Amino acid sequence: MKKRFVKWSSGLMGALLLASALSACGSNNGKETESSSSLGGSESASAALDAATSPVTLKFWSALDPSTDQGKAIQQKVKEFDDSHDNINVDLQVLSYDVMHDKLIAAINAGDAPDLSWGLSEWFGEFNKLEALADLTDSFNAWSDKDKIYPNVVEALTVDGKLKALPNYLGIRALLYHENILEEAGLSAPPKTWDELLNNAQLVKDKTGKEIFGIAGAGVRSPQELIMYLAQNGVSLAEKQADGKYKNTWQDNQDQLAKASEVFQFYQDLLDKGAIKPDAKTWGWEEEDQNFVLGQYAMVVDGTWIEGRASENPEGMKDVKIAPPIYKGSPATFMEIAPLFVYKSKHPQEAFEFASFLMGADYQKAVNPSAAPRTDVVDGGWGKDFMALASQGVVFPPVSLGGITQAMEDSLARVMLKKEKPEDVAKQLSAAINDSLKNSGELSGS
Amino acid sequence: MLISKRKRQLLTVITYVVLAGFAVYCMLPFLWMLVTSIKPTDQIRTLHPTFLVRKMTFAHFDNVLNNSAFLTFFKNSLLVASITTVISLLISIFAGYSLSRYLRFKGVRLFGVAMMLSQMIPGVLLLIPLYLTMKQLSLINTYGSLILAYTTFAVPLCTFMMKGFFDTIPSEMEESAELDGCSTVGIIFKILLPVSLPSLISTSLFAFLNAWNEYMFGFVFINDEAHRTLTPGVSLFKGLYQTDWGSMMAASVLSVLPIVVIFVFLQRYLVEGMTAGAVKG
Amino acid sequence: MLTLKEKRIRRLAIGFILPALLFFLLLNAYPLGQVLWDSFQIKNLLNKAVDGFAGLQNYKEVLRSEYFPTALRNTVVWTVISVAGEYLLGIASAVALNQRVKGRTLFRAMIIVPWVVPIVIAGMTWTWMLTPDYGILNIWMVELGIIDKPYYWLGELNTALLTVTFVNIWRSFPFYTISLLAGLQSVSRDIIEAAAIDGAGVRRRFWHIVLPQLRTVSLTIIFIHIIWTAINFDFIWVMTEGGPLHASETLPIMIYRYAMQEYNFGQASSLASMMLSFMAICIALYYFASSRRQRG
Repeated sequence: MKKRFVKWSSGLMGALLLASALSACGSNNGKETESSSSLGGSESASAALDAATSPVTLKFWSALDPSTDQGKAIQQKVKEFDDSHDNINVDLQVLSYDVMHDKLIAAINAGDAPDLSWGLSEWFGEFNKLEALADLTDSFNAWSDKDKIYPNVVEALTVDGKLKALPNYLGIRALLYHENILEEAGLSAPPKTWDELLNNAQLVKDKTGKEIFGIAGAGVRSPQELIMYLAQNGVSLAEKQADGKYKNTWQDNQDQLAKASEVFQFYQDLLDKGAIKPDAKTWGWEEEDQNFVLGQYAMVVDGTWIEGRASENPEGMKDVKIAPPIYKGSPATFMEIAPLFVYKSKHPQEAFEFASFLMGADYQKAVNPSAAPRTDVVDGGWGKDFMALASQGVVFPPVSLGGITQAMEDSLARVMLKKEKPEDVAKQLSAAINDSLKNSGELSGS
Repeated sequence: MLISKRKRQLLTVITYVVLAGFAVYCMLPFLWMLVTSIKPTDQIRTLHPTFLVRKMTFAHFDNVLNNSAFLTFFKNSLLVASITTVISLLISIFAGYSLSRYLRFKGVRLFGVAMMLSQMIPGVLLLIPLYLTMKQLSLINTYGSLILAYTTFAVPLCTFMMKGFFDTIPSEMEESAELDGCSTVGIIFKILLPVSLPSLISTSLFAFLNAWNEYMFGFVFINDEAHRTLTPGVSLFKGLYQTDWGSMMAASVLSVLPIVVIFVFLQRYLVEGMTAGAVKG
Repeated sequence: MLTLKEKRIRRLAIGFILPALLFFLLLNAYPLGQVLWDSFQIKNLLNKAVDGFAGLQNYKEVLRSEYFPTALRNTVVWTVISVAGEYLLGIASAVALNQRVKGRTLFRAMIIVPWVVPIVIAGMTWTWMLTPDYGILNIWMVELGIIDKPYYWLGELNTALLTVTFVNIWRSFPFYTISLLAGLQSVSRDIIEAAAIDGAGVRRRFWHIVLPQLRTVSLTIIFIHIIWTAINFDFIWVMTEGGPLHASETLPIMIYRYAMQEYNFGQASSLASMMLSFMAICIALYYFASSRRQRG
């Protein structure tokens, strides 16, 4: 019996040894791929020569929704581009954002990224840090339409003076409200400030039985809303320091800490005063949107896509109106810049040619009539009211956000689920942000 | 008579109650999928959800079958899952036989440990290494990548199942065949496999089901619609800002039904096959 | 020394396991080795400037992480309740299906359904059905008077993990049903009848004759499911992503966060290595204990 165990455990040891021997080969392989990808420069030169003879295929990953008109328009436009360019073939693939991130990370890590892809604004800092993105500064400056793109959008996609991504569409947030619910409560206009909102919460609840407001307490949208409220009170997540790196400065500055704490206090008040549904404290964007579409509460800070949801509840969506978001110190809204990532590829010229088509007036008019990153496209309907807010839009700092957005979600849960003191939560978030920056080597002074 | 008549009647009633309870528990989400798939869009996400369908529509099925690449996904899944099943089965027949008959060799025991270890690796961590491996083998965006990965995931369990079945077959049968001059491979194919048909079927069902339902690797290894499999394909109905629940549920129903039918037809073998393994485990 | 025949048989035995071994080496052992190797390295994809040998640093960082104890506890709760629940439902359904009643085939087919619905789809459907405002289960429960008002099962700290566990049990118990049903059908009727003649009642027969015969098959499925459940990732990720506030976060979710959100492969690997070694040790102990019992 004892002998058997010894044999067994020696077997295990053997397996471990074998595994570690293999892993040594593994790290070598990694180096080989790295060095081969660094040869990309010389390959691109020869590829440029080839281009004259054989067409270049651009791999383009999109998160378009083929069941919508927008999705169909995109497919149509891309096909038009493909047909009218003999030297370029576009290989358009449809993926959902859910899996696109992991798929891109796996592909980038293997030096196998597509030429272009859609993406979320939260990935920008990470992909830049992964050195996956092409430097588009020169191509963009040579582009005839460059002045048509909102300047603050271009600035947000610029890191250390280099343009590292292009805007695909804008998801500017505005205050959407069910006019009927507010009227039923006797409000002729939506509240403008946090305090007005909180003061009217009970009134709306008493008169209509519904809540006045909705938030996303978890999921990708909750950090987006949190930085908006922070900006509305004049604080930001992380600021660029003299050394070009970032730091959260709340703990160094009593005033900022107080303001950040007020934001968390606001979240707590929303919940305590019944301004939001109790479930909103942990639900994500799907529930936030769905409940608003179903007319379960009066107002929400949300994007233009809600317009497309009217088909589900045509009657209940008729009364929806748009206003600027509520604020405290300074008006601000979240401006989601969905980036169009252009990766380091063998065909930089063709990739940019295609990218400039995707940012062109023709494509944007057909695809993003109410969410275009261009100043000359949006002229009516929902989009106009949203675009009017472009100048007050805030964005995430261009750092890797994986750990930071997680910490932000946690802080909301602490303040609303665990009812921790807003000031403690602000301090903790500040520390967590700096920890995350430190881990990715982006913390100032480290 | 094992029990009195009154007791028997009581037992039957209890049995039916228990079975009905299980049936509801098991079928509820599936029925919900089915009902959703035939509801018009404006009745799907409402404040008063109900199992009643006021106005039946096949619009979602029409959309899935005619406006999406569902049939391609279906064909791909069928191909990948079938080839995976055949390869896994072939590999695990021999590996299982070895584990059953030759456990006295250290190498074979070590192999058993390795198979066990392979079950403990969280799939999440395999994502990037396997992508690299597939890329080095130039298999990205081919059926090969999926077949290779799914076979690897299926082989350990299939091997253990086959080992269990072979354990129940007395080795005297083989010894006499051996005396007749049969090779070991011949013995396996001519003598053992015919008597373990139910086991083969239940083992294949496991391999098939695993490949049919896999999601993450199906997405990460495959780049285009022409090679995409069913589960990743169906999840694409979860759109950018809203989920097309009607179509997604219709597609799910269409992808689940064939498997349910196969299981219903083969379930007799499934239990029989497991019976063989169950005695010795 | 092995005889010539033994040597030939050994070659044959190795030949038989070779294909399976190749698959294992290519797609399991290599990543596994990588994981063990990385766990001692500083490896953050976002911060390539620093790398090199980390010693036990990654392990320390993971153990010190604020949510590690929670995740560890959740993993245990998730695994134990899942497996226990699955076993209970499995044996109840298997016994019921083993009775000679009409419609057995139909019931058997229905019980298999959860198992063939892809996890992603099942997770999304359950999430929808459990939603407070437009989910049918909440509305039913309110109508039946079980709860006063809709409850956010997946969104509250104290129910999120248990709710996902409930759904996981739904998904996995059919495997137990089939295995146990197979076991039940191989229980010899003669022994049962003999016991009945000796005056043993239904319950007594079940506890003392049927259950012991299911011992091997039970241990096997419980054993394999403990491993599968502990490393399971999909259901939790689809339904709660580990939230709210890490209340349903298990170790595999934590590994995913380290790897795919923070790109810290060093720490992700060290956590995975700890999990792996812990399970390997448990299995070794189990193996040790069971082989001792068999002999002693």
